[in-house]
Amino acid sequence: MNIHYYPGCTLKEKTTNLDDSTREAMAVLGYELVEPANWTCCGAEYPLSEQKISGLTAPARILRQVHSEGGGQVVTTCAFCFNVLKRTNVDIKRNPLKNKQINAFLKDDIKIDPNTKTKTTGFPPYNGEVDVLHLLEFLRDEVGFHTIRAGLKRDLSGLKVAPYYGCRMLRPGGGIGIDSPDSPVIFEEFLESLGCRVVDFPFKQECCGSYLAVSRPAAATEASYQVLRSAIINGADAIALSCPLCYYNLDRRQDRIKDAHAGFSGFPVFFFTQLLAWALGVAEDVLGLDQHYYNPKSVLHNQPKTEVAQ
Amino acid sequence: MKISIKIGADEKKFIDRVSELSGKNVYSCYQCGRCSAGCPFAFDMDILPNQIIRLVQMGLAEEALSCEAINVCASCFTCQSRCPKGIDIASVAEALRQLRDPQEKDFFGPDDVPRELADELPQQALVALFRKLSK
Repeated sequence: MNIHYYPGCTLKEKTTNLDDSTREAMAVLGYELVEPANWTCCGAEYPLSEQKISGLTAPARILRQVHSEGGGQVVTTCAFCFNVLKRTNVDIKRNPLKNKQINAFLKDDIKIDPNTKTKTTGFPPYNGEVDVLHLLEFLRDEVGFHTIRAGLKRDLSGLKVAPYYGCRMLRPGGGIGIDSPDSPVIFEEFLESLGCRVVDFPFKQECCGSYLAVSRPAAATEASYQVLRSAIINGADAIALSCPLCYYNLDRRQDRIKDAHAGFSGFPVFFFTQLLAWALGVAEDVLGLDQHYYNPKSVLHNQPKTEVAQ
Repeated sequence: MKISIKIGADEKKFIDRVSELSGKNVYSCYQCGRCSAGCPFAFDMDILPNQIIRLVQMGLAEEALSCEAINVCASCFTCQSRCPKGIDIASVAEALRQLRDPQEKDFFGPDDVPRELADELPQQALVALFRKLSK
């Protein structure tokens, strides 16, 4: 079955491991991921000022493209893309003024015929017809966690994983996030379906430092360290996450965290799709584990057997 | 620091403009401080998130627009999810950044990115940051 999938810029360049593991895992589950034609950057950050309407046009254009290709839903794994696409779609559906303003921008888009080079304009209005889903939501509601459990090929029952939500999968509330902003369970349920042992930790919804890694690196390092430390002292073997920027902060910047905190010696961080693909029997070399600063490969192989009842 | 408070026409105009841009009613804040208690970056700010709102409530435009805290906010929305009055400080900070020197230079632009980081940074970090801090 084909489903529309919006990877976003970062997955094409910096975190191909997230893109590859997502495609491989979904292929095992019987889904082929199709990208909307001519997709662009979604803008990464939802414009919070009521006056910055032009920032909503890029995500709206992507959604309109999905709709014009007959897609009723679009799936993402990047938490930033998810947040921007979802908030824009909700604006278009709930806010008549923004709907009008966005469509006023979009209708004058120019379409160029690739063969004749003739230019046409005038697009029908987009009114929020496409459902924006995070892959975790799709796995829960469309695939079903029980289907994943039934298809497991590898035993992860000895692996203690701390699910890290971060900000943009959950907040703001009001129908945007994939679960309750205060007491989410979807990530925990997903990891349980893989057979992992789930480790709860108080920093699972805290910010990792986000783009402050560029403008205020010391502050971002501190925030990332607090998240990692919390997972470690609560007994986790690894962290699972979804956002490429969280991955950058929590894994790729571990050299800087080590410099700032002498007691920190590195910690494995997985994308949730890498664990999914691994559990479903995908070959290890597809997962891109060598792209990580801290290669989490050994964690998958050296699992202590535990007495968890099946 | 000595501050004189007078809510005249200019102050009212500033408060209304922040409310209009952010879409939030800043008057509804009663300074409970839950935003500051939960803010993961309060430690790196010159004034606390609830103090940003207080400055706006008092119409102190110069103080509110010149604080460093509005550049530190990472829009994680922890404050928004905890505010009993539904204010989200990320939006108020965005409104303040928009009112600050509207036509002038980037506050943090492409030239400010450390060269050694340019290759390793994920695209989304740069795009999101420039959306916040450059024109």
